[in-house]
Amino acid sequence: MSRKANYRIGSHSRKRGGGGQGRGREWRQEQYEEEQNRAEESEPRGTCMSMCPLREVREREVQKLLHRFEILPGTEGERMPKADPSRTVKEYSRPAAGKDSTRPSDLRPPSVLFKTVGFLIDDIAASPSLQPWTEVYDFVFDRLRCVRQDMVIQRVSGPEAAAVLERVVRFLLYASYRLCEEPLRLYDPRINDTHLQESLSWLLDCYSTGEHRHQEEFQALSLLYNLGSAHALQRALELPERARASPAVRLALAVNRAHLERNPVRVLRLARRLDFLQSCAAHRHLGPCRRDLLLLYSHGHSGRNCRFPLQRLARLLALDAAPAARLCRAHGVLVNGDWVVFAKASYAEPPPGDLRSTRSPELVDKKRGDASLSAVIHGCA
Amino acid sequence: MAHITINQYLQQVLEAIENRDGSFCAELMSFKHPHVANPRLQLSSPEEKCQQVLEPPYDEMVAAHLRCTFAVSNHDFVEAYRCQTVVVQYPSLPTSCVIAGLSAFQAHKEENWALPVMFAVALDLRVFANNAERQLQKGKGKQGDMLEKAAEQLMSCFRVCASDNRAGIDDSKKWGMLFLINQLFKIYFKINKLHLCKPLIRAIDSSNLKDDYSMAQRVTYKYYVGRKAMFDSDFKPAEEYLSFAFHHCHRSSQRNKRLVLIYLLPVKMLLGHMPTHQLLRKYDLLQFSDVTKAVSEGNLLLLNEALAKHETFFIRCGIFLILEKLKIITYRNLFKKVYQLLKTHQLPLDAFLVSLKMMQVDEVDIDEVQCMLANLIYMGHIKGYISHQHQKLVVSKQNPFPSLSSVS
Repeated sequence: MSRKANYRIGSHSRKRGGGGQGRGREWRQEQYEEEQNRAEESEPRGTCMSMCPLREVREREVQKLLHRFEILPGTEGERMPKADPSRTVKEYSRPAAGKDSTRPSDLRPPSVLFKTVGFLIDDIAASPSLQPWTEVYDFVFDRLRCVRQDMVIQRVSGPEAAAVLERVVRFLLYASYRLCEEPLRLYDPRINDTHLQESLSWLLDCYSTGEHRHQEEFQALSLLYNLGSAHALQRALELPERARASPAVRLALAVNRAHLERNPVRVLRLARRLDFLQSCAAHRHLGPCRRDLLLLYSHGHSGRNCRFPLQRLARLLALDAAPAARLCRAHGVLVNGDWVVFAKASYAEPPPGDLRSTRSPELVDKKRGDASLSAVIHGCA
Repeated sequence: MAHITINQYLQQVLEAIENRDGSFCAELMSFKHPHVANPRLQLSSPEEKCQQVLEPPYDEMVAAHLRCTFAVSNHDFVEAYRCQTVVVQYPSLPTSCVIAGLSAFQAHKEENWALPVMFAVALDLRVFANNAERQLQKGKGKQGDMLEKAAEQLMSCFRVCASDNRAGIDDSKKWGMLFLINQLFKIYFKINKLHLCKPLIRAIDSSNLKDDYSMAQRVTYKYYVGRKAMFDSDFKPAEEYLSFAFHHCHRSSQRNKRLVLIYLLPVKMLLGHMPTHQLLRKYDLLQFSDVTKAVSEGNLLLLNEALAKHETFFIRCGIFLILEKLKIITYRNLFKKVYQLLKTHQLPLDAFLVSLKMMQVDEVDIDEVQCMLANLIYMGHIKGYISHQHQKLVVSKQNPFPSLSSVS
């Protein structure tokens, strides 16, 4: 230690220091020792065995900050509603200066985190009695975020982290589809996307060491959710041969290749083969893909007296005839009864506000079959 | 030199500093110089010796360097990296040192003689971070951590250089910017954080020195900027940057020229320029030979074979995806052959389907043929239109397949 103490660490150490040189050195040494101590301290291990630390339960009861899903039935009307300890979950709170977020009594160990995730999925997200689902989403989203925060602070890694993150990713993917038609004030796709990407890349990092049962499933989901991203593709190409050869990854790669070759007909065709969750992941790219198809066809089929059967176009777009016709008109493509007339000059991008995402019964919903939401998110659909 | 005593070494350092001899001083701080192999200098606690000969803060810098040689001799790169982080703090000479009362640095405020020292120690820092990372990976630890920290430190050196606005142009530390940027690029490419390159590129673009840096530095810079443009699918600028790097790379650096070609070739091919067999042989890049042949012949079957055969090489270089993009050009060349065979301006769509099936493109049907043709028409590779009712591609009587270089 004495030898090491002579080191200078931390660029900021130079910025301060008032008077003489000697004092500067002393100050730097203190700095260094402090950092050393911090590094030697092992990460905190949680001791909180319930979904929500008792301290927070009391606090939120007093401050009346309980979510309605957390209130003990029968006490809603009281002046100070009581918490139902079996349904109260630690909420996310931003790290702030002076706030100690590493108290073991406030942190849940991995096993409790896993149980918490199970509760959020089975008893909240999949509960038919809790409505509206946007509120369910907000609640689960926030509590899952806190679960991730607890994991970060305790540096949970390996299979324990993977089991939680897999469910987080499935939930966020499902939500990204289910809520895609909601107005911005109820559901913000950008925020969902940020958290989804963060969780997904953490999960894939977890996979980088050791064997994992669901690795291929999530490599495929990542490829589909990030369709066209060179980064995701390069990452997938660097996977071991065995992982790349799995049916899920191969299909996802085929979709990406079709996209790379700019062949929307094939992309939409391959999209029919995706399972429910894969379809949720790919869904946000279907709109742009259909738009691209109309753009290419407007140029390719732009000849005098040329027409294209609407039925056939609808099939290529994986839409019914009526929404297909609507989509054409929104892009300046002329629809005349059962025929579409493409013309290079008339294709037009609709104003961005009109590009609202819509659900795809044909390419997504149909594939869920009768799988319950719990089964989908736990990965046993 | 190899076996001088510690006192002799320190005297040399002292002289170099007093004479402001940056390049000699750089040698004495660099791991490319033989003194680092001298066991008499590899000391675990050289502080006292250094203090006796050198003024602060040089004593600390040199002491850290010697501890680093000690760590390297023990093959402990994690420790070596830590020592080097201490060394690197000094030559960038932030003005804050002046505030902190380190009078020795006051003179450096508007000087840049120590830039060679900074180059030497910054380079070593990156190398040690690399080695330390490899050493740590055998145990546990997240990939990229060490390199990321090294990048942060180089970044603070960069900021010092970039903000040196007071000194005259000859004495400006701005001359250090491009070297540091190149080191940062190397790290960012390695840890796959290309988006971090953007502000650095902007800094050079807006610099009035950009054409006056040494050619070696400019070549390295253009190489990385070219690769970045390639990944962003900006092929025209990518071609320009990489061509610059290739043509100005020193003729004795065959290895570097080869590295440039690995990226320049696919970009050129996408823009319709095929490399000669001689060139490929000269630079030992025959992996591209079948790809080139396949693309120009429109032979998809051969292209797929060639890509599969050298897959590992192409993936490792990060060009597999770009090469896959060559498929579009290959379709164009294949379809042109169909046109040349049929010698008519109204080509049945079926003929294209047959040609694709011949190339064993699986599961392709007439709808996909239409889509491929529509894409080629949209991109300008084919002049004509598709008639769905007649199931024909009607092509222009004049130049229906414009030359590739005129299109892209």
